[in-house]
Amino acid sequence: MIEFENVTRAYANKVAVNGLTLRIPAGELFALLGPNGAGKTTTIKMLTGLLRPTRGTVRVCGVDLVRDVRRAVREIGYVPEEPFLYDKLSGREFLEFTAEMRGLNRAETASRIGRECEFFDLGDFIDDLSETYSHGMKQRLIFASAMLHDPTVLIVDEPMTGLDPRSTRTVKDRLRQRAADGATVFMSTHTLAIAEEIAERIGIMDHGQLHFLGTVGELQAELASTHTSLEPLFLELTSGNGQLGKNREHPLGIK
Amino acid sequence: MQTPHAAPPIDFLPPHRESRAFRRARNRMLATILRQAMTHSRFRVSLVAFLTSLLWGCMFWMFADGFWFLESTITQPGMYAQAVGGVFSMFFLALLAMLLISSAIILYGSLFRSREAAYLLTTPARDERIFLHKFQEAIVLSSWGFMLLGSPILLSYGVVANAPWYYYAMLLPFVVAFVYIPVSIGSIICLWVVRRFPESRATLLVGGLILLAILAVWVGLGLLVGPRNDLLTPDWFQEILGRLRFSEQRLLPSWWLSMGLLASASGDWNESVLFLVLTVSNALFFRQYAVWTAGRSYRAAYSGLYGRSLRRRRSRRMFFDRGLFLLLRPFSAEMRLMMVKDMRLFRRDPLQWSQFLIFFGLLVIYFLNIQRFTYDISSISWVNMVSFLNLAVVGLLLSTFTTRFIYPTISLEGRRFWVLGLLGIERRSIVWGKFFFAVGGAILPCCGLVLLSDVMLKVSTWIIVSHQLTCVVLCLGLAGIAVGFGAWLPNFRADTPSRIAAGFGGTLTLVLSTLYILFVVLLTALPTHFYLATEYADLELSLQSPTGMKWWLVFWLVSGSAASLVLGAAATIVPLRIGFRAFERLEF
Repeated sequence: MIEFENVTRAYANKVAVNGLTLRIPAGELFALLGPNGAGKTTTIKMLTGLLRPTRGTVRVCGVDLVRDVRRAVREIGYVPEEPFLYDKLSGREFLEFTAEMRGLNRAETASRIGRECEFFDLGDFIDDLSETYSHGMKQRLIFASAMLHDPTVLIVDEPMTGLDPRSTRTVKDRLRQRAADGATVFMSTHTLAIAEEIAERIGIMDHGQLHFLGTVGELQAELASTHTSLEPLFLELTSGNGQLGKNREHPLGIK
Repeated sequence: MQTPHAAPPIDFLPPHRESRAFRRARNRMLATILRQAMTHSRFRVSLVAFLTSLLWGCMFWMFADGFWFLESTITQPGMYAQAVGGVFSMFFLALLAMLLISSAIILYGSLFRSREAAYLLTTPARDERIFLHKFQEAIVLSSWGFMLLGSPILLSYGVVANAPWYYYAMLLPFVVAFVYIPVSIGSIICLWVVRRFPESRATLLVGGLILLAILAVWVGLGLLVGPRNDLLTPDWFQEILGRLRFSEQRLLPSWWLSMGLLASASGDWNESVLFLVLTVSNALFFRQYAVWTAGRSYRAAYSGLYGRSLRRRRSRRMFFDRGLFLLLRPFSAEMRLMMVKDMRLFRRDPLQWSQFLIFFGLLVIYFLNIQRFTYDISSISWVNMVSFLNLAVVGLLLSTFTTRFIYPTISLEGRRFWVLGLLGIERRSIVWGKFFFAVGGAILPCCGLVLLSDVMLKVSTWIIVSHQLTCVVLCLGLAGIAVGFGAWLPNFRADTPSRIAAGFGGTLTLVLSTLYILFVVLLTALPTHFYLATEYADLELSLQSPTGMKWWLVFWLVSGSAASLVLGAAATIVPLRIGFRAFERLEF
């Protein structure tokens, strides 16, 4: 479970995230949408313990990310937008390092690496050095590494960047499966179609504030619009002319 | 939606297993690097090993000779030990300062700016472990220079002093413990500055470096300027030792190291062990303190650094760029655009111009003070030798800049080659643009510096002209080598100029640039030196006959200058031609 409680993050005089209150229960696949500079990356950085909120509290599985970051991070699997790998390690060696850091024993490590290799189809290149990988290969390996310890919370930043259609399908299936297994999946994306397709709820953020939180159906109903896809809704909402957020109550009842 | 499930009961990884995971990953990477080096870069590895061994051997021989000289020259009892103690204390103090600064900078880069740090901070690794992982890297990166410079001094002293076996046995623990102290203090300073002053860390760093540079110049001038007594007399030694006394403060680790090594070399087991224990215990204390500091402040400092104000740097069209564009009118429009773009990148990269300013600034200070040194300014051959040495120093400094900053420019261009490729610019123009940019950027400061040196040394007009010509030849050749080799041996995988310069092509560029400078300067300096010697020495009269040595020297002077011009032309044209051909064939 992920909880943001009245979280504000400021960069000196610029407020990147403003009073964010959001609760994503276990088993939900949540997508955070927003234009560039909306505050999505700051939100994810706070969720992974890289940034501390200026005000408010971020909790993962009930653990405060400032007070006990190590315990909170242990529950998290994180797939950044730009994957980091050690150039001079092979994919398998990187996964073994991750597994060891996550406290898996040798047998568990071997079986889980086998499992993820099969899922993400890493077999062809797992023993090559990472410096030879394409962006898509790196992305798949990072997904595998984030899944190794069966995280309770999975945080994914722009998950489909650089992936081919087959890999995109695999990743979508895996995210759905994780959520079905009871994990909380937090996804930040620009790809509206993916959010529309797999997310149970979406949040639309702009200028550091959450302007909408709900399902696609709720969004369409609220705008009383004839739009059938998310794109025109998103554009309307983030253009500054949208009706949402003006008369609407906060999803959690917070004024 | 399912009900929330509890976190799996995984205990935190115990510190020793965490350490093992990092160690194993690092060992694997090291093994891969070595394997790749031995398989794909055998020539480069052999060249580096050969040049390093040569440098090490020369330094060992030079220092051993120096210690023998001191031993045989200083006959007063106890003064030799004092002199060596002074030299050691000063040397180790300088290293202490350099290690402190370099480790602080290295750790800032690896703890706060690297993508690895961002990755590791999202894993359950303890903050202390991440810090230690980077700290150990900083120890290795900071101290390899110490090993290269320090080991020939320490071993040659042991040989000259006929030191017992335990002197050699204690060297490694002494040196390692010593290195730990400045690196630990540097890391504490780095963490403290980023934690407390995330906004003004760069100002503090530059301010600190300038302060240290001023201090170093002040100390250097204090040592070199105007000793009152005659050279190498007992009084002169006493005076110099008196000036070095500040490096023998009892609280300085450099003094402990110096005293410990001298004690062990002289067979004083008890005192050497005492100093070793003192150094090791302090090393352990500072290391522990650094780890504790990291545990308390690393993550907060990281968050603070990335939470500082987001100032978008707005670039304005500057009059300078417009002026430069007009000034470059003789060149084609593409080349002018390329050169103005490179100038903009140079101006907006403080790393480049700050190093340029620091090193050229130090040379300006040295040249301005040249008359205050105890050189015999009235001796023409001495002045001539110093002026040529200064020319070589300017050339060597320029070669490090062309290798470090000009050589990688083509490789860096390759990463965004699609931009240039779609503009339809001829590839040859790109290489020419880099070359003229390098030459234009080098000629003004280098010729200015050489002119300053010559004016301060009061050399004759024709020597000034000869030096200016040689300097232009050096600039052209060094730019040709750096740009030509940059186009011939580009590295599109590495993303930073330092990595590109550290590769095979960069190493080759530096080695060839150094050889080129030595040849060009020697070809003109040697005949000039001997010619001037005959002009002013007592030999003059005996060399006046047309068939005598004077005409031979004139011939040598003319042919040497011509040869240096030919060499300059070759060093400019040949690498550029190779570069053109390779760059035109290159597939991106």
